[in-house]
Amino acid sequence: MARLWWRWPAGIVVLAATVFAGTCIGETAIPLSVVVQTLANKVLGAAYPLDPIDMGIVWNYRLPRALVAASCGAGLALSGLVLQSLLRNALADPYLLGISAGASTGAVTVTIAGIGGGAVSMSLGAFAGALTAFLLVALLARAAGGGVSARGTGQIILAGIAGSQLFNALTSFIITKSANAEQARGIMFWLLGNLSGVRWPDVTLAVPVATIGLVTCVWYARALDAFAFGAESAASLGIPVRTVQTVLIGLTALVTAVMVSIVGSIGFVGLVIPHAARFVVGVRHGRLVPATALTGAAFLIAADVLSRTMIPGQVLPIGVITALVGAPAFALILLKGRRRP
Amino acid sequence: MTFPRLALAAASLALLTAHAAAEPTKYPLTLENCGETITFDKAPATTVTVGQAATEALYALGLGDKVTGTSVWFTDVLPEHKSINDKIERLADNDPSFESVVAKKPDLVAVQFIWHVGPEGIVATREQFHEVGIPTYVMPADCVAKDNSVGVDGTRSAAFSTETIHRGVRELAEIFDVQDKGEEVVADLVKREQDAVERAKALDLKDVSAVFWFSSADMNIDPYVAGRKGGPAYMLDKLGIRNIVESDEEWPVVGWETIAKANPTIIIIARMDRRRFPADDHEKKLEFLKTDPVASQMEAVKNNRIVVMDAHAMDATMRTVSGIEVLADALVDLGIAK
Repeated sequence: MARLWWRWPAGIVVLAATVFAGTCIGETAIPLSVVVQTLANKVLGAAYPLDPIDMGIVWNYRLPRALVAASCGAGLALSGLVLQSLLRNALADPYLLGISAGASTGAVTVTIAGIGGGAVSMSLGAFAGALTAFLLVALLARAAGGGVSARGTGQIILAGIAGSQLFNALTSFIITKSANAEQARGIMFWLLGNLSGVRWPDVTLAVPVATIGLVTCVWYARALDAFAFGAESAASLGIPVRTVQTVLIGLTALVTAVMVSIVGSIGFVGLVIPHAARFVVGVRHGRLVPATALTGAAFLIAADVLSRTMIPGQVLPIGVITALVGAPAFALILLKGRRRP
Repeated sequence: MTFPRLALAAASLALLTAHAAAEPTKYPLTLENCGETITFDKAPATTVTVGQAATEALYALGLGDKVTGTSVWFTDVLPEHKSINDKIERLADNDPSFESVVAKKPDLVAVQFIWHVGPEGIVATREQFHEVGIPTYVMPADCVAKDNSVGVDGTRSAAFSTETIHRGVRELAEIFDVQDKGEEVVADLVKREQDAVERAKALDLKDVSAVFWFSSADMNIDPYVAGRKGGPAYMLDKLGIRNIVESDEEWPVVGWETIAKANPTIIIIARMDRRRFPADDHEKKLEFLKTDPVASQMEAVKNNRIVVMDAHAMDATMRTVSGIEVLADALVDLGIAK
């Protein structure tokens, strides 16, 4: 471990640089000096005379977005990593647990079916829907004799598929029943992921949740290593299998639900980033966990910047970008993996 | 000052000649309508409407007694049509089913938006209506120089103009053989528009810019704003105001960062009865503008130059003219000329 200590500060520097880049690049051109002066004004209490709109854009729009993008990227990537390791399934990702489908149903229930009469926000609906779906999937997996027990990790995957199908069908049902095309598009835009509504209050939610996720994963890094050889081997190594599984899968559900409720469901991050990180740092979780978090954070900031700058004056859903990059990247991983014995 | 007067004179002249020239419709009447050819052997005796704009156009033509069912309501009917509208069955507040329309056995279905009866028609396709012998008429404002397969609300290849509204009124008048009334309605629309334009011209505006905010999917999220070729863009163009949005889509999503940077002179927000998103409420829009740390710094917000406009006037309908009037009056009231 002594050899590794410098990687943490290095990681933090890289993360800070990415966040800074995300703050500098946006829909409109704001000079670097203005960005730096804004940060100096706000953080160090300097008093550079700046245009309040420029200052506001940097401090109230771009910085919170970059911070939330980093948190979401890290959180989703870590969730993917945990599930891939625990379930020993390379295709596992956080939406496998029905969370994304449940969030969609929740959002649609609030906006289209009109539950809450406009007082409940779409994100609150999404959060409630995500947790409901996860609880249902977890109960189903448990009833099917698998759940988070040592033996049947396959059951939770199957339960997740069933749950996702059910909630996707519910979403379609609600949309078909009570929405017209014009109504549906607002939802679709949001569901594909969108960071434009992010402000400081979201930062105070996303950053702690991502941090808790990271710290917990680092704490359980050795246990995750043990799961590489299956739950029974992990148990024989003295790992409290049931506790670890319950804590980590619960954590995954919570992190994902929070992130989805803030930014919508952004695909591919949870699936692809852990694989990418594995290529670079190997399979040991002591390195893999921080590497995954960092890569996820940087990836989502970059995707957010791209989504806002690709079409000048207009915004693409970030989910489109992550899938555009994610799908080919995943194909590449598959091809490379094939060559390995 | 001479130009508007001249235009007004020309309009009055057009009004006179129109009155003189209007002849009864010769049946069978064949029309090209949004890519379909429709034929009428006689004036329809009954009609069902899909879309408030089509309904109100028929009411304006004095054809309320021919309407046997209405649907797709966005807001209250115009007060002058309330008494006749109260007597007519409302098939649905939103999209009617195909069968509910057909059950009325109308001689014509008059439609506001292509997406109700287009290739992916929510109610049915035009072919389905034509197969059961019911002709359909789509208001040309939604199809002339507009590709409804691009973008969520379609994308215009040429800027909208109230000409297409006039055309819709005239064609409906021709179908129902009430051409004199049609010309009268059009002349009134033309005159109201020109009066409003003249009021704005008198202010001698210089470099005034604006943005139309329709709604947002969530409160802080990037808003839906008016593109540069639809009804709102036409209003701005006519009144000599620059639209800060540069998209051909009807209602593109544009970030607050871009809007705040463009710093428009005026912000026009939509008032509507719809309550799907919190931002549908114009009070919520006002609250956002006043409290958002960046939006609140815009000149329009700091100087309270926010105009509330009926959302239905922002669609390409006869109400577009009311929108121009509202905006022209607001320009006068806000004292922007100074």
